[in-house]
Parts: sequence; structure tokens; C-alpha cells
Amino acid sequence: MYEFRYHRPETLEDAAKLFSECGDPLFLAGGQTTLPVMKQRLASPSDLIDLGRIPELRGISLSGDTLTIGAMTCHEDVARSADAKSAIPALAGLAGDIGDPAVRSRGTLGGSIANNDPAADYTAALVALGASVHTPSRVIAAEDFFTGMFETALEEGEMIVKVAFPAPRSAAYVKFPNPASRYATVGVFVAGTREGVRVAVTGAGPCVFRAGDIEAALEGDFSADALRGVSVSPDGLNSDLHASAEYRANLIGVMTRRAVARAS
Amino acid sequence: MEKYGIGQPVRRKEDARFITGAGTFVDDITRENLAHAFVLRSPYAHADIGRIDTSEAMAMPGVLAIITGADWIAEGFAPMPTKSAVQTKIDGSKLNQPPRHPLAIGRARYVGEPVAFIVAETRAQARDAGEAVEVDYEEREAVTDPAKAIAPGAPRIWDDIEGNFCLDFELGDRQATDKAFEDAGHVVTLELRNQRVTAVPIEPRGAIAEYDSATGRYKLHNATQNVHANRAAFAGVLNISPDELHHIAPDVGGGFGAKNSGYPEPPLLLHAAKKLGRPVKWINDRNESFQSDTHGRAQDSKVELALDEDGKFLALRTATIGDIGAYCWTIGPFTPTAGSARTQGGPYYFPAMYYTSRAVFTNTMPLDPYRGAGRPEASFQIERVVELAARKLGIDPVELRAKNLMPADSLPRKTPMGLDVDSGDFPKVFGRTLEMSDRAGYAQRVEASRERGLRRGFAIAPYLECTGGSPKEFAGVKFAKDGTLTLSVGSQSTGMGHETSMPQILAATLGLDIAKISYVQADTQATPIGGGHGGSRNLEVGGSAVVTAANEIIGKAKQIAAHLLNSSAEDMSFADGAFADVKTDQSVSIEDVIAASLEQARLPGDMEPGCLDTGAIFEREVISCPNGCHAAEVEVDPETGAVQVVGYWVVDDFGTIINPLLAEGQVMGGIAQGLGQALLEEIIYDPESGQLVTGSLMDYALPRADDLPAMEMEFFEDAPTAKNPLGVKGAGEAGCCGAPPAIVNAVLDALAGDGVTHIEMPLTPQKIWRAIAEAKT
Ligand SMILES: Cc1cc2nc3c(=O)[nH]c(=O)nc-3n(C[C@H](O)[C@H](O)[C@H](O)COP(=O)(O)OP(=O)(O)OC[C@H]3O[C@@H](n4cnc5c(N)ncnc54)[C@H](O)[C@@H]3O)c2cc1C
Repeated sequence: MYEFRYHRPETLEDAAKLFSECGDPLFLAGGQTTLPVMKQRLASPSDLIDLGRIPELRGISLSGDTLTIGAMTCHEDVARSADAKSAIPALAGLAGDIGDPAVRSRGTLGGSIANNDPAADYTAALVALGASVHTPSRVIAAEDFFTGMFETALEEGEMIVKVAFPAPRSAAYVKFPNPASRYATVGVFVAGTREGVRVAVTGAGPCVFRAGDIEAALEGDFSADALRGVSVSPDGLNSDLHASAEYRANLIGVMTRRAVARAS
Repeated sequence: MEKYGIGQPVRRKEDARFITGAGTFVDDITRENLAHAFVLRSPYAHADIGRIDTSEAMAMPGVLAIITGADWIAEGFAPMPTKSAVQTKIDGSKLNQPPRHPLAIGRARYVGEPVAFIVAETRAQARDAGEAVEVDYEEREAVTDPAKAIAPGAPRIWDDIEGNFCLDFELGDRQATDKAFEDAGHVVTLELRNQRVTAVPIEPRGAIAEYDSATGRYKLHNATQNVHANRAAFAGVLNISPDELHHIAPDVGGGFGAKNSGYPEPPLLLHAAKKLGRPVKWINDRNESFQSDTHGRAQDSKVELALDEDGKFLALRTATIGDIGAYCWTIGPFTPTAGSARTQGGPYYFPAMYYTSRAVFTNTMPLDPYRGAGRPEASFQIERVVELAARKLGIDPVELRAKNLMPADSLPRKTPMGLDVDSGDFPKVFGRTLEMSDRAGYAQRVEASRERGLRRGFAIAPYLECTGGSPKEFAGVKFAKDGTLTLSVGSQSTGMGHETSMPQILAATLGLDIAKISYVQADTQATPIGGGHGGSRNLEVGGSAVVTAANEIIGKAKQIAAHLLNSSAEDMSFADGAFADVKTDQSVSIEDVIAASLEQARLPGDMEPGCLDTGAIFEREVISCPNGCHAAEVEVDPETGAVQVVGYWVVDDFGTIINPLLAEGQVMGGIAQGLGQALLEEIIYDPESGQLVTGSLMDYALPRADDLPAMEMEFFEDAPTAKNPLGVKGAGEAGCCGAPPAIVNAVLDALAGDGVTHIEMPLTPQKIWRAIAEAKT
């Protein structure tokens, strides 16, 4: 780790101001990605701006059909939240299956989606549920938010304040974990929403994506049987030590069938 | 008072310290004026090193010294020779051994090889300076696969070593074996790999070196598992006498062989401490550990089994290529040669065997012992070929095994590999394991799995292994006036619980309160010799040394007791912590005798206070043979290839069990590492660039708690060995011998209906899925 300056602002305004004044700053949430990367000297921010003291970024609330989760909410809190469990049990379950207890108690929703790791779990939930990401100045639809590998629609210095999830009629997330890291080799989130069936796939490609063919097959018949004729192409999927593109294509099919079976 | 006997489940005395974070590991130790070191490692697998420009780095804040290979050679330090017990090739000539210095000299030969050593006021400054050292590398073609390394035209790793060849080896009767193959009814051949893995102890390696200019002595606190042997190795490098180096291992967080070696960093630290006149600390991080901790296994073998028409084993022939990395390291050439030869054939009766192997250099981190060092490899080889034979011959694998186990009445027997199997009852242990595994309910479990879309498989894997490591051990006992005593032993615990088991032996033999005994280990000033940790040797030689010392103490104490009772030593009996006169029935407690031993007035004239203090050495003549049987049931998800081990049964014959809690812990840990080898772990180097692909825990898959099954364990204690006074056979590595074949064969059993007959370890989901897909086409 190289030397850096540490700040802990208490308001969104102060955080934004600090960001604009520092040379090469980074926001710090749970630090579960940022700190290991700094320790390995792969990142060397001049300043870390800790978002942990800003009240607007905290908390989980359910209002009508909308579950709202503050960016600084850690995975463990989402997993245990009565509101999350009642409105979107699949989301609470997803959060409870991220990493290990230490990671879940530090890692946050905001940090996870800002980082947009291609193998992260939350990304699939946001896209499948049609969630919206709130920043101090605008609201971004999840599908527009995740723009590429480790890339998002956030502007330089723009903070995620919270994420609003419309509760689906039914939903399920099934993940095939990487044997070493336990991130998603492939994770599939299926949701029956007001706009129809939405299926989002994480881990398989450079960035979370919706599986259009699968959604179409499920539209009329939300059952594992409806997927029988659907084949998944390995084109454009990731290939690495633990999983080739072909294997990932197979896993998309298997995880989707299992998610549908669980959701229906 | 806590009195414990042999065989009782005494809870670990050291755990409170470890669990509450109160242990003292190297990184917990600090010194005034401490400087910190960073090792600059080669980013290339194979590269000539030109100019190393340290000028910019030297000028950076806090930098105290930078040592390069050229600086090191200029000091006149000696290379570190291998201590492999096998030193010659089949033709009798000496093994090919390149010189090993702590820093690469002129050429780097594996990713992570130390190239320069930087000392600064802080660790971060040392690392910063490391980044500013400019090294001119000229990259060379690298070879990381052992078969490719010995193929014609392979890049030469050492200019004067042709064919990257270290040595070859053979054992057994080649002619008799070849003849048996010619006459055999069936021959089954299997090529397989025991893949390269690494131990990943929770505490990375690290050390603090100090030099006292007044006395000219060095002190080294080191996360090692072998203080005496490595003291000699480091002293040899620095051209000093071993007494000039005080080598201590404080609490050590796991070794498994990876802390066995004479590593490069300690001599560098010792030299730097002297040069700077300051203590210097170095701690490896996790990523550096993957690159620079020794690796294990890495053997490619062709295993051939000859059977008669009825399935009786006639002969076994194994030919192995052992990858030893870029150097011979500490005992690198031993593992794939004699280390893997001795237990060939496992617990089966073989009239003839022949083992041959070659140790080969590659552009990779060198190999050294890893839990079992050759025996797990041998166990995997025999069990895989037996399983395949059963399938090919259409015989039930359980039956084929039962039929070929060495019968109890064939023992003692010297196997064709020269292993002295003196005791045990392999068929009984095998039978008991089968019984535990509830074969009767198996069909129903298969059906239940099938209903959930899963394939179920079962396999049983008897194993026979042997102990190893240094044959001699010392135990010393010192009594204090306050009634406490100190036991010092030259073997070493890196977490196994010697602080409990060794005092337990002493307390049981002397009839003393275990709480009164404090334990000292891993300190070259506490014991004159010490074999450290390795080869499942602690109870066998260390425990036996404790018993030897205790018996000497009882002998001397009888003279004191006789004096106190106005009797003669010959008339003294000793039982339950008391000496009694067999004629008068008068008695005196051992506590009282110990108290008397510290007061001249209560001693016979020819004895002096402190006369009960005792140091004893035990030397084993013949290694002992732990054995046992594992059985595993697995569920395989054919859609994803995922495996879950759902049932696990073990019966071990470790001879006498001193403490069942500790013995079970050893078995569980061994099974966890064996499961890792079977299903998860593999060190992979890129075949083109020689880069380490699995260089972090994000890519190197270690088993976690939920990967492990509940394990049912029993011990078979009816056949203690007569090779040592405790009757123990060693427990530390057995789990690693039984688990890989039990689990791999169970997975292959589950996939038998799919037509899959072999998958190389680790059996990852992707490989299993692919094997099923390929078997279909
Ligand atoms: C061992 C381990 C296992 C893990 N396993 C999983 C897993 O199985 N599945 C999974 O999905 N994830 C996993 N993670 C990731 C983890 O859950 C976190 O979600 C992730 O590390 C980032 O969250 P964080 O709060 O720690 O963010 P940080 O590391 O603090 O920040 C990450 C990035 O987001 C930016 N950022 C943070 N908050 C905001 C904000 N409010 N607005 C704008 N930018 C922001 C930071 O500047 C930084 O660039 C794992 C991590 C570890 C260390």
C-alpha cells in the first residue's frame, strides 16, 4: 500500500466537495475491493473518502412495493432485513450468500455495484428486478447503469446514494460459485415483474446482461419446461481457468432452469 | 490435580492461547531499532539478469541496504547443498546439482526467485525501493512441464546440465517384475498425475535476524519447522559454526512441509543484520507465498498392474517423472525417488514390484516435502490402478481389494520395496470400514440421489504408509524447586498439539500433574539436537524420547526413594506416582522424591541436587507403518459437474493412541488437504510464459468447511508396533494418503454409468462436466 490521506465527511455535500478538491481520490465504502487492491499496489489513490458517516447512505425501507436500500448498507444487513426478506426474499438470500461473514459485514451494496465486477452477484438482481440507482443528481435505470466490465454510468465523483427495487411477483437467484473465490462463475436472477419476465446473467460475460431468448421463452409459460428448446450460445462469454465459455453457456441454462423452478 | 493417562482425550493446552490471539508468531515479535526487508522477486520464469541499477532505490527515504546476487557472491558465501537421502543416479554417478544461492546469480529460473534484497526503516519503504531497483532482464524461453523439459530440444535451465535431468532411481526386482508381466493373465495400465499443489499455511513465512557484535553471535526467530537442520544449513552458507547461530521458532501457524526447507531469506536477513548492526525483519505476504513457498507432489506416472486370471495381483510396475522445479532445494530429489518408492503397492500382497523414476528440473518454484511426501502419491497410484482393474475385469472393486490385501498372518513381511511391515491387520481394518459405511443402505441412498437428479458413488481406499524424517530425537526434563518441571523436546509442533501430548506422556509415565509441566520446543539452545517437524515423526521418536527420559528419571528416583525409606533401590516398585518398598510396603510419592532431589540433605551421598534432571535420546532403527482404510460416498451433479462428499468413514491403525482428540484432528486435517488435492487445488504455471496462474486465493481453490463431509473415525489399536516403546506408528500424514483415492474413485464410481473412466486431479466441476460430455460422444 502506498501512502494516502484519509477523510471521513459527514454530509453528501462535504464528500462531493472533498472529491473535487483532491488530486486522485477514491470513495471508500466497505473497502473489500479497494483495500486489497491498494495492498497489492494495483491502486494508489491520493485520498480515500470514507462514506461511512453519511446518514443519507444508510438504511433499508419498504414503502408500498418499493424496497429502498442505502448505498452503505452491508450485505449482512440486507440478508437479515425483515423488509428485504418479505418484499424480495431472493435479494435477501443473494446478499446472504456473498463471500463470507467478514466480507458480508463490511462489503456494501453501493461498493459492489460501483465496482461492477463481472462476477458480482448484486448486478444481476438490479438488472432483473429493474431497479433504479439514485445519485444526488439523478436516477439511473439499472440496465443503463452497468455499462461494461468494471464500468458504470457514474460520472467522476458521482456517488450512489441508494437503490430502489420494485418488488416482483416472484423471483429467484441461483449461482454457481467459482470454486476458489466463490464469486459467481455464473449467476442467474429471474424475476416475474410488472413488465414481464426478466432474466439477468452475471459472471458469464464481461458485464451483467439480460438473456432475451430465455425471457421470451418464459414469457408465456414461466416454467423450467418452457426452456427446453432454448440453447445458450457460448459466443462472447468469458473463458478462464475455472470455466470455459462452453461450460458457462451450459451453466446459464442449468442455473436458469433451477431459478425458474425455485421462483415458480 | 489433573492426572491423565495414555489414551485419554486431554484437551489442547495451547488452544486458549491460539484462539484468543495470544500466540506469539514471528510477526508478533518486535525489537528496538528494527529494520525491515523486502525481497525483490523475478517477474520472469527464465531470464538472464544483466545490470542491476540500485542507485535510485538507494537514494530513497529510509533505505539502508540493497543486496544483489553479485554482492552476495563477492562476500564468498557458500551455496546451500541438497540434503536428499538419494544422492546418486542409477549408474552410481552423483546427481546433477546446480548451486543454490539465496539470490539469483546472473539468471532467474522461476517466477518469484529472489533477485535483490532491500532493507529499509519500514516495510513500505523497502517495498517502494524494490520497485525502483532497475533490473535488466533478457527473457529466455521457459519450460514448466517436466515431460517437455526432458524432451530433446527443450530450453536448458542450467548450462552444464544436459536434458534438465537431476537423477534417476530404481527400486525392486526388475527382472522378476517383467517376468510376472509376461506371464500375467491381465495387465492394466494407467497414466496419471499427482498434480502440483502448495500447503498454504495460515501464517506466511517470516523471520527476524539479530547480530550481537559483542559476542559475534546471531539470533534468528523464524517461522520454520526445523530449527536444528536449518541452523546447520544457514551456518554453512555464512561460513560460521552452527553454535554461533541461535535459531528459534516461536509459535508457528502451520507448516505441512512448506516450512521445512532451508529457504533463501534467512541467510540474507542474518547477513543484513550483521552488516547494518540492526535487527531485521521480513514477512512474506500471501501472493509471495504462492510464488516462493515450496510446492508438493508434481508427479506424472505410468502405473502397470499385472494380475492372474482370478484377479490376484502378481506385480506392480511404476515409472514416474518427478518435477522438482529449478533447483534441488532441500530434499527435492528425494520425494519422487525413494520417498515415493517405499510404499508402492500399498497394503496389497505383491510378489514382485519395480519402481523407477526421474527427477527433472523445470522453470518453476522448487518442490520439497508436502504432507506425506511421496506416500500420498504412491497411495493414489495403486488405488487408481486397482479401481481401473476392477472395472476392466468386471470384478467388484471392494472384492478385488479384499482379495489382495496382505493377510494378517503374512506379517511381519518385508515388501518387495524393502518396507518392513511388522504389525497390523489390514483385512480387519478394511472390513470394519466397510461395516461403518453401511453398504446395506447404499442402494436406497443411490435411489434418493437419483430422484434429486444426482449420481451417487462409493469407493473404499485402504492405505499403507510409513514415517520419516530425522530418526533421532532428544527429550530433556528439568525440575524446579516450586514443584514444576520443564520438558524440552527437539521435535516441533506447528499447531498439532505437542504442548499437550508430550507433557501427557511424561505426566502419565511419572504419575504427575500435567499442569505442572511446561513445554519447550524449537530452540537450538533448549535441546542439543532436534529433528523438528516432518514425516509424522513426533510421537514415534519425540514421544519415545520422552518415555526414555521418564524411565531414566524413575531409575534415579528409585535410589532417592530407597534412601528416604531406608531401603534399597532394587526393592523399590513404582506405580501410580508412588515408590513403594516391596518388602515393607512403605511408600513415598514422586512429588516428595522430586522435592528431595533438590535438597542435598535428603539425598544419598553420591547424588547432587538437580540429579533428576535428565536428557535422553531415542533413535529409531526402522520406520513404522501407519495404515488404515478410508471410504467415501459422493454425489455428483451431472448438469454442473459439482461434487459433494456426503459420507466419509475412516479406520486408522496408528498403533497406540496417546490422545484420541489430537489423533482425530490429524486425520481430519489430512482428509481436508487430501480433499483439496482430489477436488480443488492445483498450482498452474502458464506453459508459454512460465507465469504463475494460480497465484492467489482468488484462483487457487482451498477447501472450506462446507466442502468437507462429516467424518466417522475409529482407531484400530490391537496391533501396536514393537519398533518404539510407545507402540505408536505416526498419524500426521495418513489422511492425505487415504483421501485422494477414496474421493476420486467415488466420483468415478458415480460416473461409471456415463462411461467415464479417468479424470486427472483436481476433479473440478468443469472437468467432470466435460468428461461426461466427451464420454457421450
Ligand atoms: C473475500 C471476498 C469475497 C467476496 N465474495 C463476493 C461474492 O461472492 N459475490 C460478490 O458479489 N461480491 C463478493 N465480494 C465483493 C464484496 O462483497 C463487496 O461488494 C465489494 O468488495 C465492494 O464493496 P465495498 O463496500 O467493500 O466497496 P469498496 O471496496 O469500498 O469500494 C469499491 C469501489 O466502489 C466505489 N464506491 C463505493 N461506494 C460508493 C458509492 N456509494 N458511490 C460511488 N462509488 C462508490 C469505491 O470508490 C471503489 O471504487 C467479495 C469480496 C471479498 C474480499
